[in-house]
Amino acid sequence: MAETAVIVHADKTVMRITGLRVQGLDTRALEQLLAERLATAVRVIGVTGEAVEMDVYGAPDEAVLRDEAGILRAVSLCEGITATEVAHMALSERILPVDAADIPEKTPCARERWMRYEHLHHPDRG
Amino acid sequence: MNICIIPTGDEIRSGTVRDTDSPAVMAHLLVRWPDAEVRRLPPVCDREGAIQAALDRAIEGGAELAIFIGGSGGGHRYSATLGRDYTHSALDRLLEGVAARSIYGPNGHLWSRLLCGTRRGARVINLPGPYVEAEAAIRAFCAHTEADAETTVQAMADAVIACYPVGTV
Repeated sequence: MAETAVIVHADKTVMRITGLRVQGLDTRALEQLLAERLATAVRVIGVTGEAVEMDVYGAPDEAVLRDEAGILRAVSLCEGITATEVAHMALSERILPVDAADIPEKTPCARERWMRYEHLHHPDRG
Repeated sequence: MNICIIPTGDEIRSGTVRDTDSPAVMAHLLVRWPDAEVRRLPPVCDREGAIQAALDRAIEGGAELAIFIGGSGGGHRYSATLGRDYTHSALDRLLEGVAARSIYGPNGHLWSRLLCGTRRGARVINLPGPYVEAEAAIRAFCAHTEADAETTVQAMADAVIACYPVGTV
């Protein structure tokens, strides 16, 4: 198989909002609402019936967290989402770059490879 | 041309998320092949076996081109809160003459893996789930339908990478 890998050096913050009721969500509409609110690109990367996880590009995690109330209001405007009384931002975390050379040798399982990296570089995370 | 679009994901199957990708993908296919028969098959759950079975059903039904949507990233392999992304690993086991491009983030996570290959004479590709990236990838595919798998998947990967707000190294 011809396989090529490329690293995209995009700066992003992972944001997760919980305490939602989600059914019939148009992810594109949600991305547009939040892109307007945050003035940057947003991608929905994970949805369950109670939570939405998104990537926010080029926005510091502190700025995202600081605007929690505004973001929740914007999210609740999206068709397919109902914000419950316990809705909140459960995560706003900027991704940390790693040196590709530091990542242990490739294994067939990406999860195992990543856990080895975490064990070597962040033993405190358990 | 007989084409099958196969969306994947438990959240699509349950209706938690609307499948806005399939209509957009179909629109691009109909521009490229106005006389095509394009079918959107029922969404497939995130299991390798189900994905493989769906492909075989599509081919047995006459598909000359099968297009999977979603399940192209690392997903659960890196984050316990993300969904299970199995489409690319399922296709690995089935396709011949495969060309693939893996797009990683600076955090070492697999953001998207795109494949182009064949199974029993049918051409098979996959697209990322996020609408903007799926639309960019299918647009690139439609512009390279006469090219070999390497060229096609490279064009699709370039189009997806261009969706991110910064460049690459």
